[in-house]
Amino acid sequence: MSEKDLLTISEAAEILGVSIDTLRRWDKSGKLNPAKISDSGYRLYDRIQIELFLNDLFGLAKDWVLKSIEIPATFYCSNSAEFQTRLIRMQSILEGKKELAPIFTLVVAVAGEIGNNSFDHNLGNWPDTPGIFFAYDAQKKKIILADRGLGIFTTLKRVKPGLNSDEEALKVAFTEIISGRSPENRGNGLKFVSKIAAENPIGLLFQTGNAELILAKESTALNIRPSPKPFRGCLALITF
Amino acid sequence: MRIELKKFGTTLISRQNGREAFAALQSQIAALAENENLEIEFDGVITFSPSWGDEFLSPLVKQYGSRLILIDTGNPSVKATLELLEKINQVPFTR
Repeated sequence: MSEKDLLTISEAAEILGVSIDTLRRWDKSGKLNPAKISDSGYRLYDRIQIELFLNDLFGLAKDWVLKSIEIPATFYCSNSAEFQTRLIRMQSILEGKKELAPIFTLVVAVAGEIGNNSFDHNLGNWPDTPGIFFAYDAQKKKIILADRGLGIFTTLKRVKPGLNSDEEALKVAFTEIISGRSPENRGNGLKFVSKIAAENPIGLLFQTGNAELILAKESTALNIRPSPKPFRGCLALITF
Repeated sequence: MRIELKKFGTTLISRQNGREAFAALQSQIAALAENENLEIEFDGVITFSPSWGDEFLSPLVKQYGSRLILIDTGNPSVKATLELLEKINQVPFTR
């Protein structure tokens, strides 16, 4: 590692979009340690280490929903207008990739439905941090969305009081078309997601509460099972 | 009367924006004659989602029935969204 690959703590904080204090905390907790300590005692970070940390998008989102860690500002959308702006930016990037021509518009629609679902169902009821985590890697063809909201079970129970578990709620959310739902005229976006995954090379891992759902690409199979680490809110990984 | 959806944006994805677009449409369709068709043109739309579509198209199909004509361009997100909205509303769109 040459000296030019080393970043000061303020440079690393700037790239990651977090505060210097956060980096100090991450060092103490072991989440992200500096590559070395300078002779004068300053933390120095390896540029590649910072880039790898940023690349672990799913890990970052998971830590956010599980432990409420501070996340880089570049991945946080505090409101739906901000999400829309960033989604359009992603759309332009995906549109530029020839191999994605037949499906990019579906990928954007799926991400849009999942992200907006978070805002629609938690508006005025966010338990702590409002907004969503939204990140993507156009090279690796994956999109990660997460929220620290109420979760599918709690929000769906308002209109389907008979629901008993996260797994049941996931099944209803992704399969049951609710027509003319009143007074809540919403909630069919996830059916759209399962339809798109069934008919296209687009896959999904969706976790909420203590359950997770896997939609394999071009398959109608709905794999719902207990998730390893329960949390409130939702976490989604879209692959294409 | 023909309405070009691209004038509301080319990425039509949230309920909130769909509702705003529907509200903005009202002043235009006030001039629609009694037996005149309302044509919705999708040309130029890049991404279309059920949330936006449900807020904009569902009330129109309820109000105008077969007088609402959708001019589809073959965009995959438009096609998939229209299919889902037909299931939700249990009414086929006229295309």
